[in-house]
Amino acid sequence: MLLLAAVKRQKGSIIGIFLLVWILSACIFSSLTLFISGNTYVKEEMERLGFGELTIWVNGEGNALTEQIQALPDVEKAYAQPLIFSGYEINGGYSDNEGQLIVYDGTVDYRFLNADGTQMTAPEIAEGTVYISPAMQSGFDVTIGDTIQFELSRKDGIVSLTVAGYFADGFMGSSMIDMKSFLINASDYEKMQVILRNAKETDVLGRNGAMVHVFQREDSALSILEFNRKIQENTDISLHTEFSYRQKSILSYMLLLQNILCGFLIAFSVVLAAICLLVTGHSLSSLIEQDKKDMAALKTIGLSGKRIRNTYLTAYGGIMLTGLIAGLFCSRMIARTLAQGLVSSTGMLVFVKLPIVPVSLLLGLFLLLFAAFLMLRTRRILKIAPVQILHESVGGKIVSSKLRKASLEWDIAMREIRSRRRNYIALCLVAFVLTIFLSVVGRMGSWLGPNGEGLMNAFSVADHDLGVQPFNRDVPMDEIERVINWYSPIRETYELAMESVTVNGQEYEANVLNDTEWFHLMEGELPDGGSILITETVANELELGLGDTVRVAANGRAEEYGISGIYQCANGMGSNIGMSMEGYSKIGDITGFIWCYHYVLENGAVRDYAMDYLQKNYRGIAVHTNSWSGLDGIVAMMHGLIGVIYLVSAFFILISVALSTGKLLTYEAGTMAVYKSMGLSAKKLRRSLAFRFLIVSAIGTVCGLLVSAFVADGAVGMIFKNFGIGQFHSGFSILGNILPLLILPALFFIFAWAFSAKLKQVSIINLLNENET
Amino acid sequence: MKNNMKKTILHGAGMIKRFEETEVLHGIDIDVYAGDFTVIMGSSGSGKSTLLYALSGMDRLSEGSIFYREKEITKASEKELEALRAGEFGFVFQRTHLISNLTLEENIRMAGLICVSLSEQETKERTAELIDRMGLSGAAKRLPSQVSGGEAQRAAVARALMGRPAVLFADEPTGALNKANTVEVLNLLTAAYDEGQTVLLVTHDKEAALRGNRILYLEDGMVIGELQLTPYRGRDEARENQLTHWLEGFRW
Repeated sequence: MLLLAAVKRQKGSIIGIFLLVWILSACIFSSLTLFISGNTYVKEEMERLGFGELTIWVNGEGNALTEQIQALPDVEKAYAQPLIFSGYEINGGYSDNEGQLIVYDGTVDYRFLNADGTQMTAPEIAEGTVYISPAMQSGFDVTIGDTIQFELSRKDGIVSLTVAGYFADGFMGSSMIDMKSFLINASDYEKMQVILRNAKETDVLGRNGAMVHVFQREDSALSILEFNRKIQENTDISLHTEFSYRQKSILSYMLLLQNILCGFLIAFSVVLAAICLLVTGHSLSSLIEQDKKDMAALKTIGLSGKRIRNTYLTAYGGIMLTGLIAGLFCSRMIARTLAQGLVSSTGMLVFVKLPIVPVSLLLGLFLLLFAAFLMLRTRRILKIAPVQILHESVGGKIVSSKLRKASLEWDIAMREIRSRRRNYIALCLVAFVLTIFLSVVGRMGSWLGPNGEGLMNAFSVADHDLGVQPFNRDVPMDEIERVINWYSPIRETYELAMESVTVNGQEYEANVLNDTEWFHLMEGELPDGGSILITETVANELELGLGDTVRVAANGRAEEYGISGIYQCANGMGSNIGMSMEGYSKIGDITGFIWCYHYVLENGAVRDYAMDYLQKNYRGIAVHTNSWSGLDGIVAMMHGLIGVIYLVSAFFILISVALSTGKLLTYEAGTMAVYKSMGLSAKKLRRSLAFRFLIVSAIGTVCGLLVSAFVADGAVGMIFKNFGIGQFHSGFSILGNILPLLILPALFFIFAWAFSAKLKQVSIINLLNENET
Repeated sequence: MKNNMKKTILHGAGMIKRFEETEVLHGIDIDVYAGDFTVIMGSSGSGKSTLLYALSGMDRLSEGSIFYREKEITKASEKELEALRAGEFGFVFQRTHLISNLTLEENIRMAGLICVSLSEQETKERTAELIDRMGLSGAAKRLPSQVSGGEAQRAAVARALMGRPAVLFADEPTGALNKANTVEVLNLLTAAYDEGQTVLLVTHDKEAALRGNRILYLEDGMVIGELQLTPYRGRDEARENQLTHWLEGFRW
């Protein structure tokens, strides 16, 4: 009976707390489910599709190399999957990287997807058609029915294939990975082979290659780095390697977007959990304060404090548990929706399965946390003395603050806050916690920029607007520069080559610049002929530091280099080094067509127009901006995530304010009535109440911004470091610094104003009666 | 009940008030005259407080009309009623209903700050004057919880008088006070009346009723009797007997 009465009276609070816990639960369980399902599924898919611990892309057919690798003691098995490397063009856009054309004959059990991302039965691939990764939708805006042109030879060597559908590419399907696989019909593959065989050496653009899948023996004691080194050192593979990736690295690439999304949602859930506890604590304290006399009365008729406390524990605990379970039930559906929404970015339809053990553990943890919290907050009930409280008068401390005619509503609000500080601490903390988190998110958003400039700069070796790489000596570079100059004067120009090297036996990409000033140096000095730069990722992987010496090898030549500095380049998850042209010339050929000419324009906004023109009018070149094909999708996803976080935050503020205004209006009904009886209008009273929320949230927001000024960059930097972005400085930004200050208090004010509408409708007498009952 | 010698300041016609199914006022007609100390008496549940709240515009009637200075306030907007409460009417409740986090002085001043006709300076001066008049100098800087019931009620009277209201409504202002404090508060109301203040007091206390010059008796939501008394000039046995005798007619 007591419980029913408590629930009935606290209907509003209970619905509010249920909604908060439900959102928290749905958010954390769905992100956890997606995170675990994604990681498990992609790993399983890689294994199911036949990818080993190590995959090495080689030129040529690769069978001889496979035999050499197979002979090594730590190798379980190795096999080569033949393919054709070819540049391609879709909808007028050229790819920076070559595509890999693979025959689909059913041997490898690829999963095929419909246009909406759902799975379909494996089709027969018809002649003249191609199946692609759905991530290419975000990169190239490609849809079923579009044509992809593969340029295998300069003379009559273009093969056009029509996109017939999508497949989940477990190894390079993500939009974070530029290299892409294409599944084609066996007869089209044979036609391409004929083109390659018949093309003159000077005309041929495509080439045969293979993916060599290497499996490590289960009983091998070597780490994957040592295993890779052993293969590089004991076989001829380094002479044929285009690039190689460890399964773990590819897993990180494939799930980069999903993991960023889940990471932020989990971090956001922690913030939501803190808010849930703050709001519930505030609601419970106000309720106990309000019900003190009733509790005392119940005690006088013999009801024990423990029993009364249990009523509150059951009501609040029950609703929190219901919220948690309701959120958990929705989480699988939300995770599935998210997974489906991410298909165009991750290229995979993650099979979502609720991870029973982690979910149960987390649920248990939440239950423990909530139970401990409720026990703590209801301790006061035990201490309420039966008779004493019935005669207790409202005491208080005199607080002096100005009361002026011109600013009466504001002054009343200030007085209320100053004299009843405890009532507003929870709201202040909600604003504080949200501000810090939104500031972090805002800084990330500002850094990202509307077009993903932050990511572009983090992932590119050096800043530029346009890059042009000629593939033969017929390309008229002088003319191309004149064209670029016509669009915008060229401010700076330098040359970049990206070549495969090994550092102490480990394979990395070397970013070679003719002008090393363009490297994003974080620490130390720029490299010269005898030194290199490494990223933080490489420094951690190889346990290297400034001043150390490393052995860098390429093309069968090796040289010792000192490490002169640490630099920032997240390309390849930070697995790269920086070299000067002079330094690289000691181990590589710098006279070939390895150089990409980078241009910094006076007016960078015209770069896309210039790129379009060059792509349409010149052959034998690859043109790119400081971007990559999947960037738009990533930026859209990140902006979407930021939007969702802002929306959920606003909803949390709405519920927090609804609960607080409800409590305040009940608690202060008498005072409000007295003000009204003196002639203070309902409008002014509402404004005064809303001012309290404005002031309190503004204090929380300002404190939050001050704290975030010191911790936000560090927090985002720490998150980004996991993805190879070693340097994060947001600086001053409207999103991160100003917007929370304006929006948060404004939302608190608006919602408080809206929820205090009751003051307008209720008569003074009713308000007075409400206070007396 | 018409009195041609005096000017009607408040006029209620056919006043009906229902609370859900229960009708509390049954079509009351009433006049309140400017400068009068009108007392409404009646047994518990007779509807006297309801009548007072309706006349003061604190509560809306179910049916009927109320005119203040010939303007119908039953049709007034909430904004117009707020203006009336802020400038024309003052109200003293049975329970003081002072604002708990304002000192007595601030509670009194608050009424002036809300009142449109008083400037900030006038409010300050009037507050000082009222504190002095109500004998609250020693308690002015204390919170309501730190003063006696009498002091709190005197502050409530001062607050009601702050804007020099045309009508001072008082709903059993001495109901919760001891005898000494009751006399103090009644003296304040009498003093206000002597200065020309229109007072409308609800009470079931004969001592309090004696302060009035016009007594109305309410029973079951109807005014069933009216008594004219000479103005109060201290204890007067003849007046007391007149009232006692009149009340006995209602089995008081």
